[in-house]
Order: sequence, then structure tokens, then C-alpha cells
Amino acid sequence: MSILELLGKRMIFFDGGTGTLLQEKGLKAGELPEIWNIENKQALIEIHKNYFEAGSDIVLTNTFGANRIKLHDIPYTIEEIITAAVKNAKTASEEAHCEQKGYVALDIGPTGKLLQPLGDLSFEDAYSAFQEMAVAGEKAGADCIVIETMSDIYEAKAAVLAAKENTKLPVFVTIVFDEKGKLLTGSDIASAVTILEGLGVDALGMNCGLGPHQMLALAEEVLQNCSIPVIIKPNAGLPRNENGKTVFDVLPKEFALAMEKIVDKGAWMVGGCCGTTPGHIKALYEQCKNKKPLPIVPKNKTMIASYTHAVEIGKAPIIIGERINPTGKTRFKQALREKDLDYILREGFAQQQKGAHVLDVNVGLPDIDETEMLVHVMKELQSVIDLPLQIDTSNTEAMEKALRLYNGKAMINSVNGKQESMQAIFPLVKKYGGVVVGLTLDEEGIPPTAEGRFLVAEKIVNTAESYGILRKDIVIDVLAMTISSDQQSALETLKALQLVKQKLHVKTILGVSNISFGLPQRETITANFYTMAMQNGLDAGIINPNADSMMRSYYAYRALAGLDENCMDYIQHYGGQSETTVSATSNSDISLGTAIEKGLKERAKQAAEEKLQNTEPLTIINEELIPALDHVGKGFEKGSIFLPQLLMSAEAAKAAFEAIKVHMGKQGSVQTKKDKIILATVKGDIHDIGKNIVKVLLENYSYDVVDLGKDVPPESIVETALSQNINLVGLSALMTTTVTSMEETIRQLKKQKPDCKIVVGGAVLTQEYADMIGADHYAKDAMATVYYAQQILG
Amino acid sequence: MQWKDVSQKEVLRYLGYGRQEADEAVKNLVSECIGEILNQCHCKHVYKRFHCTIEQHSIMFENVVIESKNLSKNLSECEQMILFAATLGPQPDILLKKYSRLDMSKAVVMQAAAAAIIEEYCDQCQKQIEKELEQEQLYLRPRFSPGYGDFQLKHQKDMILLLDCPRKIGLTLTDSLLLAPSKSVTAVMGISKKNKHCHIKGCEACENRNCTFRRDG
Repeated sequence: MSILELLGKRMIFFDGGTGTLLQEKGLKAGELPEIWNIENKQALIEIHKNYFEAGSDIVLTNTFGANRIKLHDIPYTIEEIITAAVKNAKTASEEAHCEQKGYVALDIGPTGKLLQPLGDLSFEDAYSAFQEMAVAGEKAGADCIVIETMSDIYEAKAAVLAAKENTKLPVFVTIVFDEKGKLLTGSDIASAVTILEGLGVDALGMNCGLGPHQMLALAEEVLQNCSIPVIIKPNAGLPRNENGKTVFDVLPKEFALAMEKIVDKGAWMVGGCCGTTPGHIKALYEQCKNKKPLPIVPKNKTMIASYTHAVEIGKAPIIIGERINPTGKTRFKQALREKDLDYILREGFAQQQKGAHVLDVNVGLPDIDETEMLVHVMKELQSVIDLPLQIDTSNTEAMEKALRLYNGKAMINSVNGKQESMQAIFPLVKKYGGVVVGLTLDEEGIPPTAEGRFLVAEKIVNTAESYGILRKDIVIDVLAMTISSDQQSALETLKALQLVKQKLHVKTILGVSNISFGLPQRETITANFYTMAMQNGLDAGIINPNADSMMRSYYAYRALAGLDENCMDYIQHYGGQSETTVSATSNSDISLGTAIEKGLKERAKQAAEEKLQNTEPLTIINEELIPALDHVGKGFEKGSIFLPQLLMSAEAAKAAFEAIKVHMGKQGSVQTKKDKIILATVKGDIHDIGKNIVKVLLENYSYDVVDLGKDVPPESIVETALSQNINLVGLSALMTTTVTSMEETIRQLKKQKPDCKIVVGGAVLTQEYADMIGADHYAKDAMATVYYAQQILG
Repeated sequence: MQWKDVSQKEVLRYLGYGRQEADEAVKNLVSECIGEILNQCHCKHVYKRFHCTIEQHSIMFENVVIESKNLSKNLSECEQMILFAATLGPQPDILLKKYSRLDMSKAVVMQAAAAAIIEEYCDQCQKQIEKELEQEQLYLRPRFSPGYGDFQLKHQKDMILLLDCPRKIGLTLTDSLLLAPSKSVTAVMGISKKNKHCHIKGCEACENRNCTFRRDG
């Protein structure tokens, strides 16, 4: 019988800790336990055997860190270690005196490195390390794969994909929550469960970090969110330091009694982690072996998640921000073409501040590589904004790449009733998880009537189910079309909303703004339709959260529909609003120059807008902006102004520039930039704050900064300098270890583009150091780079 | 750790203020950043005691040999030492990244605040360890980190491995030996039988006397 067939029929027991047992057998601090699979295999066979005899159904191979990222410079291959480890566990299973079959799980632990953007390990590299392990484990005869002790859900995703794409083995995942129910990288329980279930793991749960007592409440929360079998494997209590050594205090009997409570709540698979011994497992087995696993109740919730938190669709209406989309937006198109990510991030951040729960991300433009841009924008958004994203593209390749690299469970926008569309999209939904948006149109076009759209919706839902996609993971868009061309269109849409909700029991979504296309004062129509749609069952509105009237509809509807307890949200947003309008005008007499010098961002933007009504943009820049910046810069040089103030002024200037940019865009002109400058933090260095400071200041002086980011290989800097013919490169390095790659970058640049000047900066650099590595200039601080650029490029 | 534990003055020193007074806006920003980091970060630390032998400029423990004149001076007459690691977790890095894109002035203050907080956290951990050792009439020497003086950065690898940092506190090392999360510290602290109370912290112990950020005094 396979392990999956056994699930739910009776309680399943895992093994306990091995670390302490190996130490007792002589493993030294810092020694690699994985080597013992080959060099001291008898010790492992004995440990595994003891666990089988104590009652474990499944033991984990001694391969926690047997990945190529952790293990290198050793005399064995990963495959050799894993093959030996599986064999040891199998031998133990054969030798153990047990009635039941003993199963062997390939243990996959974390790589020991942090994934980008927090560390330097790429998702793809983590994936291939796990892939190597999984393939070797299956080949050696493991019965299942246990991915455990994961404290970053993104790394867990890489491991799950590696296991599922390359083997046929069942995949179980356990992660490490702290006492507040958070993973190290910030995921809460609901988000972790949502993401792992979406990926289609066979069971999930938690291990390590806490003892059985602390895990009880968290286990309950996992169980409340989860519709698949749950695994709980605590430590033998919280670790305590005794004379510089780690000890655990919970003894077998106490452990078993505490675990019984967790089993009674519904866990199907239990075992132990650090500090637990065969004694603990024996006591646990005796205490719980006759328990009948509680039936799993499917939680029919439509859930999406970012890496920090989950959002439920259907409980109360949610807002999907529509602004990250170039359609009809000149300024946004310009930002995409210029790869001005900061602009796009600010659009995202503004929507979050206005109350969006999810951000739609659409970066499709005919003349850009959509796959590359979508992945780039998505990664950048995820590194600064913690909202779940709705990936919006009709390019299947872009969709797949984005879903693969998305850190969470995304909304997938979209599929429609065409066979071709469903065949392309549903396999992606099944594989990566996600809530898919189904548009009610097909080969025949958009049905004009509500009934027609309902039929398309029904076809989408049925086809999705044939792919194994649950109804809860589908939201239907019955399409809002402008009433300016068809008077009945709003009514048909509202009727269709009701039909799909009542008859198909799926959640609904609408691009609300379309309704008013072609009409004056669009917001009035859109906001009123939004209210009507919510009243008729709209769960997720794709709207512009920056439009005040839309947010008023939203908060008012929630208050009226009894979804806003004591009208708290409504009051919080609109109580005392008149006061804020007063304070906003209170510094209206401050000039643009002064606003910049004082670092008043809002006022600088406002003052620039006022000036633009009767002054040429270039005049404003040359006569107000630049003199103010120069003044602040001089103050910084003299030591009367410090870095935070310098940057506050820079930010204020940036806000003014943005107002100018928007103004010029409306007139169809583009602000001319000065020469290009490359900025990069050199290979190996992941600290980029210094580089980012320089970037802000250079952009203030209208230089066209090509920001290559951090950890940039010399080759790509050279390639960019050559292909775009750039004559000034700024390099930043923080540590002595990374100055060597700065030196290498300079060497390559000097060789291949001798006319290119190089300015360097960073914490460890000095004039002497800069001279030694062949830089043309050493910038002691951010302003120094601006002055050097003026000297070289003008 | 609490808000009141973190010295605003220290944050301003990291920002280059020295003896100059900061204006209200900057002071407010400093308070705001300290609050935001403390609210989100998860401070964790781990340490272990080792027996060590010091010969000339070599420090030997477990299977590790460290060649460092500065560290051997720091550990002189110590028969035991502590390997220590602490981190604020990934949250400060996430905040830094966020504000680097949205508001650079806040990002630099955030950076300085996080630096002050990790130092303060290390001080608090160190006091705790001192207390434990006092019961055995043993005393702690100041912490000394890889990268200080001639204590080579490559020893970060030994520190991370011996303390099992990735698993215990989520602290990892990049290929170029940078700590990730970045707001983290690893250090060696000697254990001495003599009560040579030493209050010199990282900054004064450093030999780079021309550093812009050097603490006065």
C-alpha cells in the first residue's frame, strides 16, 4: 500500500530528531552529518531502526542539507550521498522488528542561503539544487519526499516545483512558524497554506521552532485554513541554553500528552523534531495509535496570497487596483519604454495606500519584450509591496514565467471560453496554483444577453473542473460594456452577475470602469454602477482606487450592506475630512525653491503645477529647481546640511520634476535628458543603498541613469557601456571582498571601452584604494559623483 | 527590545551628524524609523562556548585556526571563547528596499536606525551572557567581528557553520561573504578569568581612525 492510500485510514507517525542522536554518537559541531551516510552508515541505520521500532511509519533520510549549495568540496557526489542515505533507511526498515511496513521519505531541507531579493541565491539555482536531490531520491527508491524546516515560502515553492516536476513521488511540506505564527520571511499561516495548497502538495504542516504546547494554537489555525492532511512535528519544547549548549526540556510522556491534543484537533500525521528521541515517538505512538483521524472538511474559500498574507474573495467585496496598465496612459507607456520602474512602483504603492487589496499588473506594449518586462515588474513590485498580484496578460509564455516566479498564489487574468484559451491556461492554473479569471466570451464573441454569458461561464467552470481545478479557484467576469453604445448593457451585466453567483456558485469579478466609456464625467457613472454591481453580487471590482468617488462607493456600500462593523472603516476614512483640506492649503505661499530646500514633497509638486500654468518647463527647471538643488548641495559639502536633508530636498525636486513630466507629456513633448550614466553595485555585493542615493541625485540633475542594480557581473556592465555607448560608469562596493570585482570590472571596461570614465564609491573605498584599482575618480559622497558627472559630461 | 533602548544620538551619528544638532523633521524621521523597524523585526541570536588555544597570532578551536594579530591580542589569556551571531531578520532589509524606491531620505535614516538597533541588541545579548558567566566567576571580553583589523572575513564561514546560523536564527552568508539578512552581526568574545572590565565597543576598537562615522571620545 502506498503512503497516500494509508492517509486518513489511521494515524501516521513520523520519526523524531536525529541531530542530537548523531552528536551522542560523536558528530562534532560543524561536521557535515550527511557524510555519515557513507562513512558511518551503521550509526544511521541504528537511529532509523530505533524509530521504526518506536512506532514511526515514515523515517526521514539523513539528507537535510544534502544539496549542492551546502555541500561542496566533499569527496562524494550529491547522488552518492542520497543513494546511501535512502539505502540506510531501507535497510533499517528491513531489519526493524515491526509488523507494519516502514516508509522512507527523502528529506529535503533548506539550502542554507537566502533567496533573492533578500540574499544572493536565485530561484532557478535553488530549484536545480532541489531537483538534483529529488531525482536522486526517487531513483534510490524513496517512497515520498518531505520538504521540511522551510522558513521562506519562496524557497519551499522552488522545492515543491522541483519535486513535482521531476518525480512521481508524493510531496509533503512542513514549515517553521514562530510563536506569532509567522515564517522568518514574513508569511502568515493563511498565506503559507494558500500557497502550498495551490501548488498541489499532498500534505502540509509545521515542524521545528516550537514545542508541542506552543504549537497547539498554531496547529489549530493551520487546520482551520487547510483542506488537505496536516503534519505536526514540534521540538521537545523550546530550546534553552545551558553552559553554552542547547537543551530541550519536554520529556516523552509530556510530549505525547500535548500531541494528543493536536491529534484531537485534526492532525493526521505527527512526529517530532529537534530534541525528540525514539522515546518521545514511542510515547506518542502509544498515546495516539488508536485514534481515528478526523475527517477533513474542505474549506470552500477563494484565496489568493502574497508572500506575507492571504486575501479571501467572497467574504466582502475587495478592490483590485487597475492602474498598473499602459492602456490609454501616455506617462505609463513612457515609463515602460524607459524601464522607469520607480514610476510603476509608485503607482502600485499609491493604490495600496488608497486601499487596494490586490494589484492588477499589465505591462503589455507592442514594442517591448512582455515576458521579460512582466517578470521584472512583478519581482520589483513584490520586493516593495506586500499585496497579492493579479497577473494580467494574454501572452501565455509571459503568464507561465510570471506564475512560476511569483512569490505567492496569484490571480490569473485571464482565461475565456475559447478552447484554445482554456487549453493554454488551465494547465498553468493546475500546476502553479492561482485563482483564474474567466471572461464570458468565446469563439462566437461576447454574448449580448445575460443568459448567453452564463452559458459561457458554465462551460469555463466545467472545463476547469475537468483539469482538476476547483470551483473555488475560479472567478467569473461577466464583462461590463459601455452604456454609451448599448443602453441595456449595464442591466445585462448585473443580471449575469446574479446568474453565475446563484447557479454556478462561483465568485465574480468585473472591470468596472468600462461601463462609462465615451461619456462625460465618467466617474459619476462608474461609481454608481460599482455600487449596483456590488449589490448584485460583485466580489472583486477592478477599479481605480485613486478615484475618490470609487472609494466613496466602496466604503458606503460596505457600511450600507452591514459589512463594516459600527461603520468604523467609513468613519475612519471620511470622519474629520474637512480638517485635512485645511492643512493641505496652509503652506500654499511657499515658493518652489523653498519647498525643495525644505524638503516639502507635496508642496514642491503643487508649486510646480502652479508655475506650469504660466511658465515654460525649462525656465522652471533652470531658474528654480536647479538653483535650489545647488544651494542644498553646497550646504551638504560645507557640512551645514546632512544626508537626510539632502535627500528630502532631492525627493521634493523629484516630485516637482514628475509634475513637469506629466505636463510635458500632455503637450506631447518629452523632457530632454542629459547624457547616460551607468550605475551598478558590483558583483557579489547586495548592498545598494549608496548607489541608490547617487541615482536620486544624478536624476535630479537630469542625467539619464541606467541603473543595472546590484550584484552586477563585470560583463553586463561592459556590454551595456558598449551597446549604448555610455562614457561614464559609477560603481559601488561595500566590502573589501567585493572591491576585487570592482577592480575586475574596471579592468574589463578599460580594455574594451578605453574612453569610458569610471567613478567609484562605497564604505571601504578611499582615494588610495581607488587609485590602486585604476578608477578615474573617487567620490567620497553622493554629491561628489554629481560634480564629477558635471565635469565629465557637462 | 524597546524603543527607549535605542539611542537617537547614535542613529544621528551614523547619519554623519557628529556634534551638530539635527532639525525637528530629521529627528521625527529617526523616531519614526526606529519605531517601524522595532515593530516589524524579529531579533534572534545564538552563541556557543568553545575551548581555545592562543599561540602567537593563531587562535585555535574545534577544527578552526584563525590567524589574526588583533584578535589574538583581544583574546590574550583566554582559555575559552564565545562565538556569537545576531540578526534583526529580513524585515529591515525589506523596509530598506521599499523606501529606497519610494523615499530615499527615509531609506538612509532607516539604514542608520537599523544599524543602531542591531548594535543595541548585541549589547543586550552580551549583558545577558556576562550575567551567566559571572556565576562561574568568568568575564567577557568585548566582541570582535570578522572584518575588524586583520581578522579575515573568510572566517564568517566558520562562524555560520559552527553556530548552525541558517537553521537557528535564519542568518546566511552570500558567496561574497556578506551576511544576509544584512542587519546582522557575528563576533568572537573571549572568556577571561580576570575581571578586566572592558567597555570598548566595536567602534573604538577599530583601527580605521579616519572613518567619518567614528564615535568621538
